[in-house]
Amino acid sequence: MILERLALSNFRLHKNTELNFSENLNYIVGGNGQGKTTILEAMYFLCTTRSLNQASDNEALNFDERFFEITGAFRDTVKNKIRIYYDLDTNKKSVFLNDKQVNRASTLIGKFPVVTLTQSDHSITLGAPADRRKFVDSVISQSSETYLKILLDYNRTLRQRSSLLSQIKESNNRYLLSQLEAWTETLINSGSEIVKHRIKFIKTFQEYIENSYQRVMEGKEKPSVYYSFYGELDENMIDEKFRDELKERYNDELRRATNLVGPHRDDFIFTINEHEIRKFGSQGQHKTFQIALRFGEFFYLKNVRSIVPIFLMDDVFGELDTNRSRKISEYLNDIGQAFITMTDFTNFKHLQKTENDLVLNVNNGKAAYA
Amino acid sequence: MQIVEPLQVAIDELSKLPSIGRKTAQRLALHILKSDEEVVESLVKVLHELKSKIRICSVCYNYSIDDNCDICNNQKRDRSFICVVEEASDIISIERTNEYQGLYHVLGGVLSPLSGKGTESLKIKELIQRLESDEIKEVLLAINPDTEGEATSLYLAKLIKPLGVKVSRIARGLPIGGDLEFADDATIGRAVIGRSYL
Ligand SMILES: [Zn+2]
Repeated sequence: MILERLALSNFRLHKNTELNFSENLNYIVGGNGQGKTTILEAMYFLCTTRSLNQASDNEALNFDERFFEITGAFRDTVKNKIRIYYDLDTNKKSVFLNDKQVNRASTLIGKFPVVTLTQSDHSITLGAPADRRKFVDSVISQSSETYLKILLDYNRTLRQRSSLLSQIKESNNRYLLSQLEAWTETLINSGSEIVKHRIKFIKTFQEYIENSYQRVMEGKEKPSVYYSFYGELDENMIDEKFRDELKERYNDELRRATNLVGPHRDDFIFTINEHEIRKFGSQGQHKTFQIALRFGEFFYLKNVRSIVPIFLMDDVFGELDTNRSRKISEYLNDIGQAFITMTDFTNFKHLQKTENDLVLNVNNGKAAYA
Repeated sequence: MQIVEPLQVAIDELSKLPSIGRKTAQRLALHILKSDEEVVESLVKVLHELKSKIRICSVCYNYSIDDNCDICNNQKRDRSFICVVEEASDIISIERTNEYQGLYHVLGGVLSPLSGKGTESLKIKELIQRLESDEIKEVLLAINPDTEGEATSLYLAKLIKPLGVKVSRIARGLPIGGDLEFADDATIGRAVIGRSYL
């Protein structure tokens, strides 16, 4: 998939920006706060209808304006146009695919696969279990609509169930326990499906992470991904295991009025040579692992969806040593279309730049071809 | 902007209706204004009777003119079979398919702790009473297959099975997150035929 054109109106600093892109590498160069990352944000917005850093929609609005609009023209086997329009007065966001309004934004997710590599990726290897779940869930969701739907169902069930647990605790009404049973079964149904998808994904993803890690960091280091809790469990035992756990924590759940068991508490363990990197990894290993995860995601989505994702890299080269950044730039040649922001291109002469590549200079919300 | 008051009021009222925007409301109001007196009077009469004549069937909670609805009164229908739906409007969707010949029971919603809907706010007690007294052999749960519908179906199945009544649910042929109301007849028809047992 190629993003051919992008138009922004009142999107943060960009009052009126229209861009045509190269189908290879696009370097977006500019100082801090000039609006180069905004261009990546807009692309992410188009592909997922959500903001990259989970900001609310109105935060993306230019100060003086009442609406913003992003339009993108994609080319694959067919051409597609996505337009997103946000209106401040109604605080409503409308999404259009080929001029037809899309009612459920979730139906678009995965159709325009996108992979990001940003500074905030450090939380995937260094942060809390929730950060790793977010990574895994977003990869599987982009590759499977079924998974996305189950995930939405599961999260809804969690909210319903915890609301019921609170009602039971407050009212002390034993009669509500029979309803809890029904919500527990619903939780087990969708929760087990999530676990099955995750097990399958982690098994497949292992090969991808090994390959991409080798590409970024030549050597004998072997990366692995493990799914902590249910990792070694046989598939048809998952329901049962889940049910047993729930039984065990039943009184705790009633006392604390929270969902204490299920895949919303899962963790994934990343290791290098079987050492957990969250605990033992060096700074360089963390960085390499984060990059390898994203490249792995890219090739995984490419294979599973048979659509080449677009790759967004935000200010990553600045903190890499020359060796790693050369490796990554070699790797980028296998990618297809990528968008890479950086503060200063002159420091990166070693990056391979072919005549198909494009350099854009961004200054105070205005972009110019170099 | 100055529009003669009765016309403006009519437009305002019509645009409160679902899926009627300002422009459509204006078109409808002008159309009614231009129509013959008897056409308008007939429309008014129909709307008035819709509200005054229709009540709720005391057995199945379907829309009805009498105490019991036409479906409950129809002796040709399979009286050993009850189809459980969320709302009376779902009965219209299923009847349109001509695939179902049994009776109905309208729950009046689904379980949803977040919106304060528990078992007592649904017609569950009434359903169980019917199952205990009538000659019901099978209950078909035609509840939308979303999270809340799933929990409600599981709750009902657990309650009904000990009574010696078979419980089935409509096949999951419905579009993702799709409501019965918005599915096409063929899809609903297939879902009713291809039911699975719980
Ligand atoms: Zn009736």
